[in-house]
Amino acid sequence: MNKFRGHISTIESDGGLSLVTVIVPVDMELRCIVIDTPDSAPYLAAGREVEVLFKETEVVIGLEGTDGISLSNQIPCVVESLETGVLLSSLDLKCPSGRIRSIISTRSAGELGLKPGTAVRAMIKLNEIMLSPI
Amino acid sequence: MIEIRVRKILEARGGDFTLDVDLELQEGEFITLYGPSGSGKTSLLRSLAGLLTPDKGRISKGGKVWFDSKERVHMPPQKRNVGYVFQENALFPNMTVRGNLQFAQKKGAPPGLIEELIVDMDLHDLQDRYPDTLSGGQKQRASLARALAQQPDILLLDEPLAALDGVMRLKLQEYILSSHRKFKLTTLMVSHDLAEIIKLSDTTILLDKGRISKMGTPQQVFMGNKLSGKFQFTGTLLELEVQSVITVASVLIGNQIVKVAAHPTEVEGLSPGDKVVVASKAFNPVIYKIEEK
Repeated sequence: MNKFRGHISTIESDGGLSLVTVIVPVDMELRCIVIDTPDSAPYLAAGREVEVLFKETEVVIGLEGTDGISLSNQIPCVVESLETGVLLSSLDLKCPSGRIRSIISTRSAGELGLKPGTAVRAMIKLNEIMLSPI
Repeated sequence: MIEIRVRKILEARGGDFTLDVDLELQEGEFITLYGPSGSGKTSLLRSLAGLLTPDKGRISKGGKVWFDSKERVHMPPQKRNVGYVFQENALFPNMTVRGNLQFAQKKGAPPGLIEELIVDMDLHDLQDRYPDTLSGGQKQRASLARALAQQPDILLLDEPLAALDGVMRLKLQEYILSSHRKFKLTTLMVSHDLAEIIKLSDTTILLDKGRISKMGTPQQVFMGNKLSGKFQFTGTLLELEVQSVITVASVLIGNQIVKVAAHPTEVEGLSPGDKVVVASKAFNPVIYKIEEK
């Protein structure tokens, strides 16, 4: 599980859903959608410290300069290391806020030519991010 | 309100310990007691039923004193209006199911009560049978009906479902919950099954070596750090299988085994037998109707 600590900056609610933006130091903005509102979950408040969690298997990798993608969360990273299995590979990515892990297919890792030092963008759909109050 | 303040030195295999409980329970609630064996759960139920005399303390219900060590009050079990179902059935072997229910009934009970319980508990086909011809689940159903035939205010259930298989457990849970609601009982149940506790209880009490270590709603007691994941279950970890760069965890939830693929760091420190939470965002699962064949 990828975990970061940050503070809620904005909450946009509609019906029972909320789009929550969390600012993670140093310079990462993560957006996520939850089936909760400030009424149903009081921890949803601007300024509140939260933990942001997302699975390694939900992190999509794109090469720098990839445009026109719907994924809300796009974080510039550099490949630190990769462990290659037959079907799946595990990548350790470095970004200013810390480390992000991603599990993608070994075939894609090969096609993208990923190796330590490659500049990539780690992307996470906003419905794959969980929030946990601290 | 039910006030339970009891101290009792108990003998256990690992050495003596003191049951030391200070509790106030709301009437009408479904309360579960959870904790390792030898933590005082049964002794607490027995104290409430009047089958065990605390060394010290006070038990009262709705202002009526059932036990008070200082005032030397000890109301006998039959006056407390408590129904008790044990893990092993305690039906009278020489009476039919109906006979057992009739025997338990109090004088002046409403005339249709036995019939009502026979219908509620689906005992119609079993009412003329003797306990030793019944299956485990049927016996417990009859035991529950017998406890209810006394028209108790408080129902005490000491792991009544522990010996039953998964499907039978789920059925009996339904009977217990519907009776609890219908007869407006205050129910205290000992259980080791997290899924059962979460399904049934308003309040869960965690007992450890005779003391309350946690109390609250099952979510507060077991979920701890609440995730915003809505697809959330508790279960028991069965197995961890390393599959190249990921590890597949098999988890028993209810009577189903689910698999979770995780990065090895996510399952670090977990070992088979651990109680775990399996959670996902509500956006991930798919749902569809099971078509009848």
